[in-house]
Amino acid sequence: MERGASLAAPGIAAAASFAIASQLIGAAFLYLILRVDGGWQVLGLLALLGLGFYLLERLPWIADYALASFARVPLVAMVTAAVIVLAFPFFVGSNTYILHLLIVAELYAVLALALNFQLGSANIPNFATGASYGIGAYVSALLAINFGVSFWLTLPVAALAATLFGFIIGIPSMRTRDTYLALVTIAFGVVVQQLLNNFSWTGGPNGLVGIPAPSLFGHSFADPLVIFGWKLPSQANFYYLSAALVVVAIVTAHRLHGSRIGLAWNALRADEIAAKAQGINVAWFKVLAFAVDAFLAAFAGTIYAFYVSYISPDNFTFLVSVTIMTMVIVGGMDNIFGVIVGAFLLTILPEKLRAFADYRLLFFGVVIIGFLMIRPQGLFPQRMRRYGGEP
Amino acid sequence: MAELLVQQLVNWITLGCIYALLAIGFSLIFGVLNVIHFSHGDVAMTAPFITLGLAQALATALGASSPAWLVLAVPVAVLAVGLIGVLLDKVVIRRFRDAPAMMALVATVALGIVIRELIRHLYPQGSNPHAFPRLVSGMAFEISGVAISWFALLVVVLTVALVVMLFVFLRMTPLGLRIRAASEDRVVARMMGIRDARVFRATFFIASVIGAIAGLLFASYAGVTRFDFGVMAGLLGFSAAVIGGLGSMPGAILGGLIIAGIEVLAQTFVPDGASYRLVFVFLLVIAVLIFRPAGLLGRTVMEKV
Repeated sequence: MERGASLAAPGIAAAASFAIASQLIGAAFLYLILRVDGGWQVLGLLALLGLGFYLLERLPWIADYALASFARVPLVAMVTAAVIVLAFPFFVGSNTYILHLLIVAELYAVLALALNFQLGSANIPNFATGASYGIGAYVSALLAINFGVSFWLTLPVAALAATLFGFIIGIPSMRTRDTYLALVTIAFGVVVQQLLNNFSWTGGPNGLVGIPAPSLFGHSFADPLVIFGWKLPSQANFYYLSAALVVVAIVTAHRLHGSRIGLAWNALRADEIAAKAQGINVAWFKVLAFAVDAFLAAFAGTIYAFYVSYISPDNFTFLVSVTIMTMVIVGGMDNIFGVIVGAFLLTILPEKLRAFADYRLLFFGVVIIGFLMIRPQGLFPQRMRRYGGEP
Repeated sequence: MAELLVQQLVNWITLGCIYALLAIGFSLIFGVLNVIHFSHGDVAMTAPFITLGLAQALATALGASSPAWLVLAVPVAVLAVGLIGVLLDKVVIRRFRDAPAMMALVATVALGIVIRELIRHLYPQGSNPHAFPRLVSGMAFEISGVAISWFALLVVVLTVALVVMLFVFLRMTPLGLRIRAASEDRVVARMMGIRDARVFRATFFIASVIGAIAGLLFASYAGVTRFDFGVMAGLLGFSAAVIGGLGSMPGAILGGLIIAGIEVLAQTFVPDGASYRLVFVFLLVIAVLIFRPAGLLGRTVMEKV
């Protein structure tokens, strides 16, 4: 106990150096895993990662110490994180494939954070996040192609359309639960995907092509980004844009978690009847969770559509929703950091497994099942709420 | 018009029986383990591949024509799929019976991916669709100018026989009694000396065997099979089980008939309905669950403090 107490309160210098060092190590690891190509190197890095999580599992004080350090010097931690995120493309250089992976990982991080409001905070299953993502992408793409609306204007419109969809899915959630609710959301997801696949004005199975690149202050996102004489490939534009969206999602998630809404969701998760007895409007908060999820997912969808400039119904299938769910569960439900790690891991892993060519999906499935069996709480389990004061 | 009606009626019954058989597996497993075995559809769709592979292996080994060996391959494949189900339960699914429901759902979805990929890799040219013959061909008899195929007859007879057998098994045999006891309350069943591991094994074997038969009929009905047919078969079977009410056998059959009904109706009476059939099916699923949140024949569980 003695040791735990002393570790829980690191000094400022120790905390700051820990916060900086741990983030640098994390970034270096991400860089390495993005850079390596051979199958064995990937496996080696994965083994290293596994060792890290094993240590975390055996020595829980590491996590406590990390949390305490970050809480002690939040500003240092945030500045470090910002510097790492901003500087990362410079290290990657002209490798557009890595940048592409990072963008996709960031978008999935947003989607996973969006789903986390439901699955993590309130324990409401939702297999329709992929559909909200698709609605966001299609609404903004259609507006841009047919009416020449600018990217920045389509963002809120797409988010609004998806939120409306979120409310619509939320309605059956008032009555159904668990598996039945899961099926309702699956059904919504399939219906949306099938409609996108069949309507002629959505391009049918061929999708929509030629979505124009957005521009900001006269700088087109299709052009390379030049900063202080450094020339970054055009993907860097979208990298920073998605990073900004991730920040928005994190702030939203953090604020909601700390608000009465987050508390109400947690109460729903703990015991619905008890929550109702406490005067929490269960139906409203459930619907709200769906709406918030759809709202954020639409943002990610819009950026995705403008980034790849080509979308088809295949990008928004049932399996996409399952992947997002897996990210939340593998990362750790209701843990913002864990969810982001889960999203990055599950985006990058299948790509890196390309070394195993045709077997990567197989491998992916096995890895997910393994994760769920060995660490059912997720990589970073949710932590107890702290209501201020010293622990 | 009458001809069309009879023809569609036959289609409906055939498809409905196949979906009902798939749904029974979902319902049975859910009833006993309280786990959604989402890869059940994929397990079922391994049956046509095992059958085809076996028939071809026999044909090359013995030098006779392939269809002749189909008869031999079918029962072997059905039994093999039953064992695959037991194996999956032992290795993966059983570990999730006490986990949160969503975890089991995601794990079995991942399991479905693994099964599909295994089919794709292990079967020669597994990525391509493979023609699957009608298990029985020819026309049996005629009703108002519409020829009823032996195949449709086989599907109906097989389904009725399986359902009756399952009913008798669950109601009148000691093992059936144990399965019902375990599905009622696993902990109490254990205290009464019922070995739940055996119950799980039996449940998965039965569910997978029925699923395998459904898979064979499905491939035979479509005339073709592909490694990823399991997704849709699973989704439709699951939907049928859920709208009927999970854990209820009559519900599973009713659900299968309803899902097939809307599919056939959409294909027949809605212009361009074939491409929109899934939209209709899943809109119906949503509608049913809005009005009957526990399925049509499901028990509404009153939650008490």
